[in-house]
Amino acid sequence: MGDATTSSVVLVAERLSKSYNGEIALEELSFELQRGHVLGFLGPNGAGKTTAIRILTTILQPSTGRFTIDGIASEHPAAIRPRIGVLPETLGLPNQITGIEYLSYFAQLYGWARSEARPRALSLLDVVGLRTKAGKLIRTYSHGMRQRLGIARALVNDPVVMFLDEPVMGLDPKGQQDLLDLLREIAVDRGAGIVFCSHSLSDVEGACDEVVILSSGRVVASGSISEVLGRARHDGERTGLRLRIPTSAMDRAGATLRTMDVVEEVTGLVDGQVRVIVKGPDRPLPADMVANEILARLIDAEVPVLGFEIEGSRLADVFMQLTEGSSP
Amino acid sequence: MSVQEATRELSEVEPRRRTPRGSWVVVFREEVVELWVGGRAINLLILYSLLLGLMTFLLATNSELNLIPPKEMAFLTLQNAIFFGVFIGMIIGADGISGERERGTLEVLLLTPTSRRQLLFGKLLSALTPWPAAFLISIPTLIVVSQGNAVLGQSLWLGAVLGSVLALAFAGFGLLVSTWCNSNKTSMFVSLSAWLLMFLLTQLPGEVQKGDFGYFVQRINPMQASSEFLEKVLVNNRTISEKAPFLRSSVIAVVVVIGLLFLVAAPRLRLVAGRAHRARARWGSLAGMTLAVMLLVGMGTALGAPLHQQGSSDLALSIEKTALTVKAGDEIQFESLIENNGTQDSPPVILAMNIINLKGDVVDPEDWSPQRTQKVPPIAASDALRHDWTIDAILKGDYLVYIVAIPRPEGASSTSQPVASNGLHLTIGAFTRLNPEGVLPVVIFVPLGVTLCLLLVVRLRLRRLARDEPSPAPSAPA
Repeated sequence: MGDATTSSVVLVAERLSKSYNGEIALEELSFELQRGHVLGFLGPNGAGKTTAIRILTTILQPSTGRFTIDGIASEHPAAIRPRIGVLPETLGLPNQITGIEYLSYFAQLYGWARSEARPRALSLLDVVGLRTKAGKLIRTYSHGMRQRLGIARALVNDPVVMFLDEPVMGLDPKGQQDLLDLLREIAVDRGAGIVFCSHSLSDVEGACDEVVILSSGRVVASGSISEVLGRARHDGERTGLRLRIPTSAMDRAGATLRTMDVVEEVTGLVDGQVRVIVKGPDRPLPADMVANEILARLIDAEVPVLGFEIEGSRLADVFMQLTEGSSP
Repeated sequence: MSVQEATRELSEVEPRRRTPRGSWVVVFREEVVELWVGGRAINLLILYSLLLGLMTFLLATNSELNLIPPKEMAFLTLQNAIFFGVFIGMIIGADGISGERERGTLEVLLLTPTSRRQLLFGKLLSALTPWPAAFLISIPTLIVVSQGNAVLGQSLWLGAVLGSVLALAFAGFGLLVSTWCNSNKTSMFVSLSAWLLMFLLTQLPGEVQKGDFGYFVQRINPMQASSEFLEKVLVNNRTISEKAPFLRSSVIAVVVVIGLLFLVAAPRLRLVAGRAHRARARWGSLAGMTLAVMLLVGMGTALGAPLHQQGSSDLALSIEKTALTVKAGDEIQFESLIENNGTQDSPPVILAMNIINLKGDVVDPEDWSPQRTQKVPPIAASDALRHDWTIDAILKGDYLVYIVAIPRPEGASSTSQPVASNGLHLTIGAFTRLNPEGVLPVVIFVPLGVTLCLLLVVRLRLRRLARDEPSPAPSAPA
């Protein structure tokens, strides 16, 4: 047995697999989560994200493999449950009671006395910024408020690990950013490990320390964001650039780009978006100089460049590349 | 780090707050608030009171049914109150788990440290809460239809006890069905079908319920058996102990349903129901076993009709009255006289009363009299004995009542000659005392009262919400 009490590792999953009637839903999932870290689970629909979450939250039993949470092995689900907080994809909130009643109820289910449950609920509503809505019926809450209330419920037992399934889905950009900031705060201030499932790749990229990308039940990439991005780049092959240019300057931009030796192809000259494919290994300039050269030529030709991006530098590109063939 | 390296012994793990053993109380309280304050229970009770009122009004105003005496009116009202009262509990039970699955609220409940049994226990108790309210709502109607008859008291306590047993069985059944249904529609459909099947069997004409199979079905259907029990005890003056076997199916239903719920369904309660074929097969075999147990009970109670002995003697028998005209619902009392005209003591005698419809329609004399037979000790020579008899005039018509004296035969190989009395010609007119206008206020004001209760609950809830609104405060760490 290891000395997990002093370890900062709060979750260890080892070769977790799950199959239903011979069909594999999850295969050989292994990863670690540190205290205070946020881990993103990415993958298209049917990739096995929710299955993985349900195994780790003791709702499902793995077909093979084991995991520990806060040092407690998966063979003891009843001992794990008080140590985890979960925000499922379907929030599961009743409509007829108020936010404070709801949290008090869960506080009591987790062992708080009735008299302690209400102050506990109020303090959690404070944490998620819903104190002023505490006495309102949940049915009057906006989607973002409901998500926050769900997070407050997941925090009611001071979890060592929190699992959040699509927490930002359906939120407006500001709501998404606020929620992601809140999750980072929870991870840092409370030292909880957070496992965070999302379809929103930019959210995962912004909020997570590590990422696990699943496709058809298999792990196709895992590690820190920079590690995953680094592994996915293909040096020596054709590089793509994306440029955003005003519509009025599109023709000029196209003409300028086509005169350059490093440019192999210019496509998508519509709606202000231009995709430039630069030549392969035999190009006249080194790879890291190509982008600068292209930008310099456009500026010389007085083409305003509103946006510029190298393909493969974003998690979205890696995701698309790794999960090709699966429906996102 | 591997799982083995990360694993600690449970004894090394710092303890968390323990969920109290009585966490079913927390679940129960929450469910009750959602049920009652959310308005679902009261809405169902408003429907219930309207339905009960409508049925009672129809009973009281229908010219054909107006013949029904107060005892039978009380029985029919009580029967409706119980059947529809337990229906509410069943519907709420049937939503218990499948509804949570459908609304996506089950997952977070299953993730709490509260045990599955405590969860189901809290839900079962909350599903039972509408029954006492439904029974209370039916009391004014029972008072009106019983028209001061002594049957009211017995109706109230029998209804409370029997209704509670059935409410437990049906709420438990609904909850049990909901544990293995993913969809609320399926759970409701299965529960409703079962209830409807049992209810419809109680509505079949009397002739269909006769015969071995008819009696058998009557005894294994808790609804039908309870209805039969109530009718015999309330209307036909039979004793509770005499008709207690009719209660077996209700008690067995409770034991089986509650046993399945807490011993089989609770440990297997999952987020998604009905995945394993093996589990389904197990449920099937359990349902088969339940049915088999109920069939055995039915057979046990269906057997054993009393045998009558025959014998011979020299006796004369008469009834003091020869003709009477009464109304349905009246009680008739008369005396019989048995004389021993022989020179020796008579053997012991059984007196048996019979009632014959003079149009030839079938009459069940047991429905008419609490005591159809009386034992007579040996009568000395030239001596005579008088016996009192009581008959409830159940139905309008023309009848002849007579008594037969059956002397006990001397031995297994001998017989005796029964002696018949003169006939008492009974002309029974329609029952006319029940005043439909007496029912109308109840029909109107009871649902109105329940609706006012709903409005009151809503108002109190809104006031409480306004009072509980916490003032904005500076952030405090959780």
